[in-house]
Amino acid sequence: MNDSEAAQRIQELEKANRVLQKKLDRAQQGRLQIEESRRRAEAVLSATIKELRDSQNMLEERSQALEQALHDLQGMQTRMLMTEKMSALGVLVAGVAHEINNPVGFIYGNLDYANQYAQDLLHLVDLYQKNYPDPKSAIQDFIESIDLEFMKSDMPNVMNSMKMGAERIKEIVLSLRTFSRMDESEVKAVNLHDGLDSTLTILEHRLKPQPHRPRIQVIREYGEIPEIECYAGQLNQVFMNIMSNAIDALEEYFVEIQKGPNHCPSPPLVLTIKTELLEENQEVQICFQDNGPGIPPDVIPQLFDPFFTTKPVGKGTGLGLSISYQIVTEKHNGRLECLSKLGQGTEFIISIPSRQSLIQEPAFSTQTAESLETAELISSELLAQSDLVNPTVDQVELKQLSR
Amino acid sequence: MFKVVVAHSNDPDSPSAIQEVIDQCLGDLEGVQPQAGLLLAALDFDHTLLLARLHETFPDLQLIGGTTDGEMSSVLGFEEDSITLMLFCSDTVQIRAGVGLGVSQDVAAATQAAVDQAVDQAVGDLPFDPKLCITVPDGLTVSGVAAIAGLKQALGPEVAIVGGTSGDQWNFRQTYQFFGDQVLSDAIVILLFSGDLKFSHGVSSGWYPMSRKAVVTKAKGALVYEIDDRPAVEFYDHYLNGLTVSGEYPLAVFDQASDEFYLRASNAWDREQGTILFMGDVPEGATVQITHTTCDDIIAATKTSIEKARSHYPGEQPAAIFLFSCAARRRLLGTRTCEEYELGQQSIGEDIPTIGFYTYGEISPLAPGGEAFYHQETLVTLLLGVE
Repeated sequence: MNDSEAAQRIQELEKANRVLQKKLDRAQQGRLQIEESRRRAEAVLSATIKELRDSQNMLEERSQALEQALHDLQGMQTRMLMTEKMSALGVLVAGVAHEINNPVGFIYGNLDYANQYAQDLLHLVDLYQKNYPDPKSAIQDFIESIDLEFMKSDMPNVMNSMKMGAERIKEIVLSLRTFSRMDESEVKAVNLHDGLDSTLTILEHRLKPQPHRPRIQVIREYGEIPEIECYAGQLNQVFMNIMSNAIDALEEYFVEIQKGPNHCPSPPLVLTIKTELLEENQEVQICFQDNGPGIPPDVIPQLFDPFFTTKPVGKGTGLGLSISYQIVTEKHNGRLECLSKLGQGTEFIISIPSRQSLIQEPAFSTQTAESLETAELISSELLAQSDLVNPTVDQVELKQLSR
Repeated sequence: MFKVVVAHSNDPDSPSAIQEVIDQCLGDLEGVQPQAGLLLAALDFDHTLLLARLHETFPDLQLIGGTTDGEMSSVLGFEEDSITLMLFCSDTVQIRAGVGLGVSQDVAAATQAAVDQAVDQAVGDLPFDPKLCITVPDGLTVSGVAAIAGLKQALGPEVAIVGGTSGDQWNFRQTYQFFGDQVLSDAIVILLFSGDLKFSHGVSSGWYPMSRKAVVTKAKGALVYEIDDRPAVEFYDHYLNGLTVSGEYPLAVFDQASDEFYLRASNAWDREQGTILFMGDVPEGATVQITHTTCDDIIAATKTSIEKARSHYPGEQPAAIFLFSCAARRRLLGTRTCEEYELGQQSIGEDIPTIGFYTYGEISPLAPGGEAFYHQETLVTLLLGVE
């Protein structure tokens, strides 16, 4: 290596040394900057994770709120559908009651005359027989063919059974009108006992003995209560829902006991209705007590939830009690409670203020508050009472009465 | 004829470095006289000496340049403490330099002066009809937005404005601009190109909104007082846990009722006043979000910027590639910084002279023929040639 090459080599090495030294300095600075950058990145990451977590929580809450809103909307939609149905059914019930009421009036009003005319005609026949003891053979043959003696003895029975039938029709029509209370959409002072009785009349068909069970006894323990300002039609819906649930429970209970291995004698099926004025609270209590199976404790908190039902699919909508609860609490400022112990029966207690000065105006969502269950119940009761309108049944019933 | 040469030295010693650069250029020029040049240098060099040596060698050179946050070229790739020089020779393209001083005092006057100076230096009977302006404004004293507005006003809408602001290696104290043999500060320098010239540009960032959305409730120019009616620093403090603000997390400023946004970075806080001074205007009432990025996103954006420029290039073969990339990109890319330069080489051509630097703010139109915007956190690619 000559001198110039050596000098160039030295220059190159010196340059390399300078470059490396500079790069080393930069590397140190770079490392500090990277550390700082990393600290920032960590801070940003932590803050962002926290925000995401908050956002996730918020979304979950919103999702729950939306689910609840959807649930409420579905409930409202169902109630609106029921409102439509019940409105139509109410009109139908009121119309049927009105239409039946008039012809029943003709029948009932003319029965006494018909009875009197029949008595007179029979008396006339008697007179003929006394004064003309030997009728011609054609008359004699006809007397025998129509069994005149039986007809004379049975005529009062026929008339009486017709009168009883007409009276029952009148009673049921009155109950239907009381129950539907189509004319009373506003708060009115009514006798709750009338509402309870009319509901029982409509439910009579279900209380009757059935092939698989004896009659359900109803014990009315009505106390002295004043007339109560309320939406009478709506409260009747509540009575109907609670009582038909009690009948369902008693029926199922009886069948279950019968199927059981011990075949122990079943107690009588009893539904007790008590009314009472609680002076100190200024409220009226209506208790419906059955001696059925009772409700499991885990089910009780859900009883008044919309769409909750223990009935088989297709038998219950799960809305009866929730709407009843709404009618009692929201429309009447009252309380609806359920006391039950397994094996010891169930008691539903309605408590409403005796004076409804604070009662609310009817809100849209509870305008009618009749549930689908109630609608089905009334329609089934109407069908069950079809001996009023079904001519075949009518004839059978009349024959049975006349015999 | 349009000849471009580029030289690059990473020797920290100023006399040695400039000598190396001059030697490389003279070798590549093969006797052709350069018309204009762009010099980019790290902060630690003796800039006066560099310019004096260059002036001695090329006395008539229309030279501009500035200090940077990192230099790159097709000679050495990316370097942190280096000087790189690009020289342009042509008999069909006229290139003139201009300078405006005291930009922070009156940006309109300074930019007008720079343009006037460049135009005044047009020689011969060729009509001086500028097509392209490459500019290096001061990255700390000049509002990039105002500088562009001044240039646009002085040059008219037909001239494309591309460039980057000078840097000082992330110190944010003072940056320098070069004009001829003068080392300046608070200045704006320009190169105006006219004649038979083809060029194209592309811009892309790679940052994405990350934080919650907020509204700038009090701001004046680049100084933001309040965000969501709270001191502006609180908005950043929530995410940075009290650490100082950094160009790594610029603000996305949304256009009204649009998903499009531009970025504004800051390195200046006033904790007592709760204000943040951004390196570009932030309008009052704008919706903002803190943004973030990853190395992959930055490199993807680099590719986008280069692809845009390449696809818009009106000729067949550019003669030079310019890369103006944000200093924050380099901070985040670390050892992957060289990929920006390499992508340009791979995408456009390895033998095309390339020069670039890491800036405190980039300038370019969004689309061909469009008006220029002041960008941050972006890579602006410029392709230049006659073929």
